[in-house]
Amino acid sequence: MSLDYVKFSNGFEKFMPKEYRDMVEHGPFGKKVSVSQVGSFKEVLEEHPMCAGCAMTLFIRLAMVAFPNPEDTITVGTAGCGRLAISQAAIPFVYGNYGDQNGVASGLSRGLRLRFGDKPKDVVVMAGDGGTADIGFQQVLHSWFRKERFTTIMLDNEVYGNTGGQESGMTNRGAVLKMAPLGKKFEKMDMVQMAKVAGCAYVATVVPNNPRRVESVIKKAVLIAREVGSTYIQAYTSCNIEYAIPTDKVMEDAKAVENDRYQFTEYVSEEAKQYLTERYGYKEFLAKPAAAIPNKA
Amino acid sequence: MYLVADINVEICAAKSCKLCTQYCPEANTILYSDEMGKDQGFKYGSAYVAVDRCKGCAQCVWVCDNMAKNNAIKMIMIDQLPKAALTDNITYGEKSTTAVLASPVVG
Ligand SMILES: Cc1ncc(C[n+]2csc(CCOP(=O)(O)OP(=O)(O)O)c2C)c(N)n1
Ligand code: SF4
Ligand code: SF4
Ligand code: SF4
Repeated sequence: MSLDYVKFSNGFEKFMPKEYRDMVEHGPFGKKVSVSQVGSFKEVLEEHPMCAGCAMTLFIRLAMVAFPNPEDTITVGTAGCGRLAISQAAIPFVYGNYGDQNGVASGLSRGLRLRFGDKPKDVVVMAGDGGTADIGFQQVLHSWFRKERFTTIMLDNEVYGNTGGQESGMTNRGAVLKMAPLGKKFEKMDMVQMAKVAGCAYVATVVPNNPRRVESVIKKAVLIAREVGSTYIQAYTSCNIEYAIPTDKVMEDAKAVENDRYQFTEYVSEEAKQYLTERYGYKEFLAKPAAAIPNKA
Repeated sequence: MYLVADINVEICAAKSCKLCTQYCPEANTILYSDEMGKDQGFKYGSAYVAVDRCKGCAQCVWVCDNMAKNNAIKMIMIDQLPKAALTDNITYGEKSTTAVLASPVVG
């Protein structure tokens, strides 16, 4: 894991496919790239079998552009749609059993710290709402209570998309799905509140219809997890198949859901604010100059 | 046959906002060329689609019509495109890309 792992071994360059050469020569490794530059450099994500127009795909794409050091990042995933794309990138990907992603990531991030000391190696978990809030729930919560230093991202499409439409804990109350024909009887789980109670240093909710905001939350979450503690991003990433959203209306849906139940929220612990400010030069947490006190008549 | 996105260089280059590129779910698919449209007097280049990677979702059409308000993208049957960009014919540069356009279907 370093800039070297992507380079060609001597004599092999001419046998490498064009996509690989483009990635080595014009990819994001060792450079600072941003979402505003997409379309002008080779992205690490390659072709994959996720559905046309899937918002989860867009989110994964943006997340990979936003990783602060892609050459020093490992992604961890689990069963569900997202792994179909996350695994097709020039970023090492670890895949375990369904729901064990936060346990695997705990061991991985500890091992990397033993091996590489202070040199940052970023571990980022990306898993579905079923993988995070149902099947992996126990491991997710415990990794947060233990303050494991890696980022957990929930790709929340509010359904088990990969297996054809079962309800998850994150499905909205009343939603009718192919395999929940009577409609869900319980409320959507409040994982954001649980992340705060469990002590996460950074918690954000985001929708991919604002690519720059996705970039900003990913960067903060990954940087804070390097030293301060667990970080959690919950992203609405609609399933256009199970919710029958026409693909050219996916962004309209994202906007509607953002207004309904997915407003942008961001919690940053005081320690994390100080860390981002001092270590990475963030200005947004600096105390604002006191506003002039209006004269009372 | 299937639909892919096609960007009209003259309409895009007049605005060149680079929004669609940020909203296409597929990576390395809507690319940007500083050169495209220069021969027609446009200054800032144009977006274009690597049609071998396009999955035909039309999200870019929505973004160009509704966010950029520029209506530069249409969905077209792939065999109706006389010439298009394909990944094999795209060259990455320092800050932009260039593409040699070719027939997108074999035969
Ligand atoms: C132990 C185990 N049980 C069941 C499955 C089958 N399975 C694969 S993906 C999936 C659901 C995925 O839903 P979610 O985590 O919400 O991700 P999505 O596909 O919606 O992105 C299930 C039940 C499995 N792979 N392993
Ligand atoms: S089934 Fe749904 S979540 Fe899965 S790839 Fe298709 S649209 Fe995306
Ligand atoms: S959104 Fe429209 S105008 Fe903007 S870059 Fe894309 S095609 Fe061009
Ligand atoms: S139709 Fe979809 S996949 Fe094709 S270029 Fe447009 S947004 Fe990308």
